[in-house]
Amino acid sequence: MAGPPVIELEGVRKTYVKEGATVHALRGIDMVIRAGEFAAIMGRSGSGKSTLLHIIGLLDAEYEGTYRFDGAPVADRSPEVLARRRNRDIGFVFQSFHLLPTLTILENAALPALYAGDRSVEECRAVARRRLEEMGLGARLDHRPGELSNGQRQRAALARALVNEPRVLLADEPTGALDSKTSDEILQIMIELNRGGATLVLVTHDREVAEVAERTIFIRDGQTDDRLV
Amino acid sequence: MARPTIAWFKLLLRFAVDAIVAQRGRSVLTILGMAIGTASVVGVVSIGLLGREYVVGLIEGVGSNLVFAYGTGRGVNPEEIEFDDLPALEREVSGIAAMAPVLLHAELLPIAGEVRQVTVLGVTPAYERVRNMVVESGRFFNVSEEARGEKVCVISEDLAVELFGTPEMRSASLRLFGLRFRIVGVYREGVESAAAVQKSEAAGLAALIPFSTFRNLSDVRYADVVYIQAASPAAVPDVVEGVTAVLAARHRNISNFKIESLDQYLVLAQRVSRAVTLGLTAIAAVSLFVGGIGIMNIMLVTVSERTSDIGIRLALGAGTRAIMVQFLLEAAILSLVGGVLGVILGAGLPLYIGLLYGVAVPVSGLSVLIAFTVSVGVGLFFGYYPARKAAGMNIVDALGYT
Repeated sequence: MAGPPVIELEGVRKTYVKEGATVHALRGIDMVIRAGEFAAIMGRSGSGKSTLLHIIGLLDAEYEGTYRFDGAPVADRSPEVLARRRNRDIGFVFQSFHLLPTLTILENAALPALYAGDRSVEECRAVARRRLEEMGLGARLDHRPGELSNGQRQRAALARALVNEPRVLLADEPTGALDSKTSDEILQIMIELNRGGATLVLVTHDREVAEVAERTIFIRDGQTDDRLV
Repeated sequence: MARPTIAWFKLLLRFAVDAIVAQRGRSVLTILGMAIGTASVVGVVSIGLLGREYVVGLIEGVGSNLVFAYGTGRGVNPEEIEFDDLPALEREVSGIAAMAPVLLHAELLPIAGEVRQVTVLGVTPAYERVRNMVVESGRFFNVSEEARGEKVCVISEDLAVELFGTPEMRSASLRLFGLRFRIVGVYREGVESAAAVQKSEAAGLAALIPFSTFRNLSDVRYADVVYIQAASPAAVPDVVEGVTAVLAARHRNISNFKIESLDQYLVLAQRVSRAVTLGLTAIAAVSLFVGGIGIMNIMLVTVSERTSDIGIRLALGAGTRAIMVQFLLEAAILSLVGGVLGVILGAGLPLYIGLLYGVAVPVSGLSVLIAFTVSVGVGLFFGYYPARKAAGMNIVDALGYT
């Protein structure tokens, strides 16, 4: 079931200075995530799991070590190139949804397609509409995020993450702001997506959430930890 | 790499417009600041131009391409322009279109039971054109009347009002040099307040009589002043030089004469108005600058307020260039709309007021263009720093991770 590697990290280290003290956020991470995998990265707060997700998601380019995406090293780390790759290859889902409050969810979902710039505005909106309908939001296209429930917001965010058909979907505590019922709903959608062939990386501190993934990578003090927590 | 295609640009333009509309109250105030700045620049230039046009109109109204020469009457051995000088000037100076020597005499006349002083001027028919006289009613005397030394006169509007109670011509006569002169016309000066530039010899109570008649009736030996119309504006300096040379050759001391053209007054007037306009424009530019600072201020507030918006857009794959261009466009739109409103205000208001008062208000197309370009430039200039700040944001920080 697992295909070729999509994400390969080798000795990835991240050090930064905070309030005069040097923080070793990541201390040499080796990790491979293959196409079609559903992996959970689990760890306590401060373990470095978010930092790791930012590196995987090309949001953070300041690290040491090697990162190969789709078999090719991420060599060019200039902002424009990384932006393009985020736009094309990576879908993001965040704990606090990060929808733009002044836009309708249709406009929100269309944004990545619009920024990609290879389809007309109408086509972008059509794709976004399809994705939102798949998420059961067909009746809410013209609502703003403020008019929706948290569960609906996260589904809108999922639709947005999928609009450019990315190579990998990264979810950072996607259920962190949801009650258990809507939480299950979102996780169920992710399971469905994985069954449909999508590669998913889920970051969470919640063991129950991590259990929906077929594989769990534990992070502790900036290192992968093979011991079961 | 995001390619700056037209569609890409249009998309960012839409984002920019959406953002401006989303914060319309603040946008309106920012635009107002720019509008006032632009309006003052355009308005001030209009006022400056109006002032210059007025003064230049006054000066040119005295007569176009005019050169005038006269003896100062001062000095140890004062000299005057003799009658013999006149044909010499006409013969030897090139570039002369017309010449109008003037003889002067003050006559005391009883008008409505009061003794009034009337200026009597002996002039040739060319005087009408050279000095830009307007015959309001009746006519100017003609060449044959001049040649025969007829006793005809054209009187000033002021004198007509004194005599008849109206500026209209009446069949009447005037007693000058103890003889009856038939009134054939009423004139006024081409510019109402030509006297404002220099006291005009034909202003006030005055009567114009043929040059030859004047000579026959008086023992005058020289012309008080000679007006010379140059063939073109470019010929004016040559004519001044030529007249100077001829008078210098025919007289003992050229410093007894003054040979002037209106050019010096024009140059002076233009220099003064330019200085005034420049000064006012500098003040207006300050308000444009203040408007620009307003834009920068608002854009900085906007950028920090929309940190998470920017972070999300960057995460979704908006390039730094896209963010930069969007914010630059926001600033440019604010200042452009402000600029357009300012031009409408700064040009429209003077035009409207001018219309009300029947004054042709000059609006400099150049100043409109400059105000326009400058306001957009101001937007881009003052929007650059905030836009760069937006584009250079750390995505992870902007998304609220710390």
